Amino acid sequence: MHIPSPRGAFRVWQRDLTIFRKFWKPALFPNFIEPFFYLAALGLGLGAFIGDINGQDYILFIAPGLLASNAMFAASFEATFNTFVKLKIDRVYDAIVSTPVNAEDIVAGEYLWAGTRSVLYGTSFLIVLTALGLISSWWALLLPPFIFLMGLMFSVMGMLFTSLIQSIDFYAYYFTLIVTPMFLFSGIFFPIEDFPAPVPQLAWFTPLYHAVNVCRELATGPSPAVLIDVLWVVMFTFGLALVPVQIMRKRLIS
Amino acid sequence: MDGGMKNGRAGADSTLVARKLRKNYGDFEAVKGVDFEVRRGECFGFLGPNGAGKSTTMKMIYGVAIPSGGELSVVGLDVTKDIRGVKRRIGVVPQENNLDEELMVRQNLLVYGRYFDLSKKSITQRADSLLDFVQLSERAEAKVGELSGGMKRRLLIARALINDPELVVLDEPTTGLDPQARHLVWEKLRQLKNEGTTLILTTHYMDEAAQLCDRLVIMDGGRIITEGKPRDLVKENTSPEVLEFRPRPDSLEALRELLAGEAEHVERSADLLLAYTHDSDELMRTVRRSEIPLENTLYRPAGLEDVFLRLTGRSLIE
Repeated sequence: MHIPSPRGAFRVWQRDLTIFRKFWKPALFPNFIEPFFYLAALGLGLGAFIGDINGQDYILFIAPGLLASNAMFAASFEATFNTFVKLKIDRVYDAIVSTPVNAEDIVAGEYLWAGTRSVLYGTSFLIVLTALGLISSWWALLLPPFIFLMGLMFSVMGMLFTSLIQSIDFYAYYFTLIVTPMFLFSGIFFPIEDFPAPVPQLAWFTPLYHAVNVCRELATGPSPAVLIDVLWVVMFTFGLALVPVQIMRKRLIS
Repeated sequence: MDGGMKNGRAGADSTLVARKLRKNYGDFEAVKGVDFEVRRGECFGFLGPNGAGKSTTMKMIYGVAIPSGGELSVVGLDVTKDIRGVKRRIGVVPQENNLDEELMVRQNLLVYGRYFDLSKKSITQRADSLLDFVQLSERAEAKVGELSGGMKRRLLIARALINDPELVVLDEPTTGLDPQARHLVWEKLRQLKNEGTTLILTTHYMDEAAQLCDRLVIMDGGRIITEGKPRDLVKENTSPEVLEFRPRPDSLEALRELLAGEAEHVERSADLLLAYTHDSDELMRTVRRSEIPLENTLYRPAGLEDVFLRLTGRSLIE
C-alpha cells in the first residue's frame, strides 16, 4: 500500500493552481453560470406551476441542491478529462514522477486541487444565492468547507474511473450512466423519498443524494439527522481514496 | 556517508553500482542481470539497438521501473529503499518530451524546481542561469509548443539541472534532432562533464557514444555484451580499417568467398559486404584483380558499429 506524502501532494496542487491562475477567468465562467440556467428555467419557470415543496418555494427548494451538483461537475471534470490529458496526452505525470514527488502524491494532489476548484466555483455561486435571498441560515457558513469535501469525494470517484480506462472516449459512459442519473435522481429537483421502492433505497447508496441533503440542511438550518449524511460522505470519500492511488501508481511506475 | 550497498564492492568514487540487475514485465525479461559501475565525473554510455534494455535500465535508475532482482545503488542510496532520496539528487532527461505544455519556457523550470522543494529565490536564480546555459534566455516567455525540437531538448536538459544534480541520466538525448541541433546538445553535455557532473546516457548513435563517452557498455537483448573505452573496444574487437563493398546481387557469393580468404574477417549487412583488415590498399588490389563486378566501394576506419556487428552479427540500426 502506497501512502501519499502531503508535501508531494501540495507541490502537484501548486502546479495546478499556477496554471489555473492563467486561465481562471475563461475557465471559471461556464461552470459558474451553468447553475443559474437551472435556477431560472426550473426554479422560476417550472416553479411557477409547482408552487411549494415541503412548505418551501420551489426555487428555494432547488437552490442548495444545485450547489452540490455544481461541486460534482467541477470535481468530475477535473478528475476525468483534465487528469486524462495530463496522464496520457501531455505526459505531465511522467515528468513529475522522476522528481522527488512520487506517483501516489500526484493522485492526492489532484484530489486536493479538485476540492479547491469546487470551492472556488461553489462559493462564488453561494454568494450570489445569498444575495438573491435564497439562503436563510447562518449554518450556510459551513457550506464552503463542505463543498471542499464534496469536491474530494467526486474527485475520488472520477479518479477511480480514470485509473481504469485506456481511452478518453469512455468518459461518455461515466457521464451518461453515473453523473447524469445522480444529477436527476438525488433529490435536487424533487423529493426522492416520494418515489416508489427501490428508487429512494438506491438513491441512498449514491454520493450526490447525501451531498444534496447536507447542502439543503445547511442552507435552511440543520436537524441532527444531517450528521448521518455527513458521515456517509466522509466514509465513502476516505474509504475509497486510496484505491485510485494504487491503480494510478501502477500505470506510472512499472 | 549514508546507505551504500550491503555487499558493495563499490569504490568511494562510484556514483552508481548495479549488480545482477534484472527487470521483467510479465514473462518478458527486458534486462537479464547486468553489472556495471559508473565513476564520479565520467560520462558513461549505453549503446545498443532498440529493445536492448537501455531505457529500462535508465528507468530503474530514476525510479519509474522497479527492479525485479539484483541490486542498484545510485548516489549511494538503494533505489528500492529510498527512491525519493535518489530522485532528489539526480537529473533526468527523458526520451520523450514531457515538458509542461501549459506553461511558458521559464515557468517550466520554476514549477519543476518546486517539486524538489527548492526555495523560490534559488529556483529563480537557477532558472535564469540555466536558460542562459542552454541558450534559451530570449525564449523565456515563449510557449513550449513554439519551440523547435532542438530547443525543447535543451529545455529538458535545463530542467534536469534545476536541482544541481550530481548525476544526470539522459535517455537518447539527440534522437530525432537535426545534425546542427545534435552538435549543440553535445557541446552542452561536454560542458557539463567538464564542470564535474556525472553523465549516463543511452544512444544508438555510434558517433555520439564515441564523441561523448569515457566508457560505455554495449547492450543487446537485455544483456551487456561488452564494456570499455570506445577506442579500446574498437581496437580489441575489430581490425582498424574497413572496406565496404556493394557487389551486384549475382556476384555477392563470389566476392564473399574471396574476401573470406583475404580479409581478417567479413560481415554482411543487407546487400553490403564489410571486410576488415590492417591493409586496405592491398585488399583493394586483390579484389580488383579478381574482376568481380562491384557497384561501389567505400573505405573508412573501423568504429563502434563494427564492434557491434562483430559481437552480435547484426547492425545497430536496422
